[in-house]
Amino acid sequence: MEAVAALRAAGAAPGLTAAFEALFRREYPRVVGIAQRIVRDADEAEDVAQDVFVAFYRKHPADAGYAPAWLYAAAAHTALNAIRSRERRGRRETVHTLERDPAVDPQRSAEEAESHAEVRAALARMDERAAALLVLRHSGLSYEEIAAALGLRRSSIGTLLGRAEDAFRREVTR
Amino acid sequence: MSEHDIERLMTVAERPVDSESALARIRERIERERIQPINRTVAGRERGRRDGAVVSLWIKGLAAAASVALIATLLTVSGVAETIITLFEPKTVVAVPITSADLTGAAGLTAYGTLTWSSPPKPYDVPDIATAEKATGMKVLVPSQLPSGVSVANARYGVMDRTTATYTFSADKTRAAAALLNRTAPPMPANIDGSKLFITGGPAVVQYFDDGTAPKSATSAGAFASLPRLIIAQGKGPLVQSDGVTVEQLQQYLLAQPGITPALAAQIRAIKDPSSTLPVPIPVDMATSKTVTVQGVQGVFVGDSTGLGSAVIWSKDGYVFGVAGTLTESQILAVANSLH
Repeated sequence: MEAVAALRAAGAAPGLTAAFEALFRREYPRVVGIAQRIVRDADEAEDVAQDVFVAFYRKHPADAGYAPAWLYAAAAHTALNAIRSRERRGRRETVHTLERDPAVDPQRSAEEAESHAEVRAALARMDERAAALLVLRHSGLSYEEIAAALGLRRSSIGTLLGRAEDAFRREVTR
Repeated sequence: MSEHDIERLMTVAERPVDSESALARIRERIERERIQPINRTVAGRERGRRDGAVVSLWIKGLAAAASVALIATLLTVSGVAETIITLFEPKTVVAVPITSADLTGAAGLTAYGTLTWSSPPKPYDVPDIATAEKATGMKVLVPSQLPSGVSVANARYGVMDRTTATYTFSADKTRAAAALLNRTAPPMPANIDGSKLFITGGPAVVQYFDDGTAPKSATSAGAFASLPRLIIAQGKGPLVQSDGVTVEQLQQYLLAQPGITPALAAQIRAIKDPSSTLPVPIPVDMATSKTVTVQGVQGVFVGDSTGLGSAVIWSKDGYVFGVAGTLTESQILAVANSLH
């Protein structure tokens, strides 16, 4: 009668479970942080985080042990997809960023926007796994957490991270 | 550029996030879009995982797709009654948008009878395309174009031999299942009760490409990362035969089930040539679809509404093809059109 149980679950009214809400409160800031390192915009990062949690809600139980790892990986991949399609469209966000934050010194703001654009472009051009690895590490994840999120062996993280940094250097300075 | 420079570039001014507002926003979205969770607890999933523990990752996806197609196929059977007749053999594909309500009804396949595998799917890995072709007797199409980051060097190949199953309709099971849902099923016509459908699928070959990150085990923690970057499947389409049930009656009966919405029934009836059209069910709240031309024939493109993945499915020369992955529409179509 598993099918009947599944039918009942599918027919249940939508709503968030306590487990999902707890997971959301615990992991949302970190998921936003990962996305923001890639999209370089706080509002857009929150949009990415929303999509990631909705995708998780659809497909996974909130009490799954792998939930944080899944969310971190999904945040990185979703944000990378977003900047890649933007890079393809060739849109530059410099002006947009300047207008958004008038309180900041215009000179400094322009420099920051420039470096944001550079980082985005570099990450967008990099191999996806390498880009995700770099971002997760700089978002404060441990080697164990990165290994779990990206499905890698713990022992290979150091080497792969070194290569990812080399690739990032090449892309930024090219 | 020093490590310090990388550190500086990777640092962003994180503003404090308001998790409660964000939670309210997601709650509102889930209610507005009526987004359904697939499973609410780990316990439910673990059961599924145990069942499929020996099944490698790619075949799980294939099996899921096949079972959905099977449900839709059963709903579209049509033909001429003979002793053993071919009810369904796909020559083309069409998208059938379904809602959560439709899924609730259609998922009740096991509620109408019993599916028995006479030759269950036993996927196995092979080292290369040549071995796959030898094992299946199929000419396997391979891509001449791969998106950046995807390499033939990281490809794995799987084969599923021809599989067969028998589905036996049962009036008792139907009544019991309907009762559990507090519904009353329309009476099953006597000639459907106990009648059999013979379902044949495969052989099939799956080419599985990842960028080196996908874990070999489906139980690995990185569930998202375990999605294949690119998967190319080619197989003999499902063939459904009957031992003589009046199939117009079967269609009429199945479409009259309480779980089947009138909208879904109308869409299925509208399929011009149901005996050779493979319906691809598209959950409207999770995915979008459109008709595309691929390899010169009509195909269905499916985009995950989260933008995380896409797929294209078509039928040509007696085979059903599927290309899917965490790629964009143009990337997926480029790979599909490059198959030769």
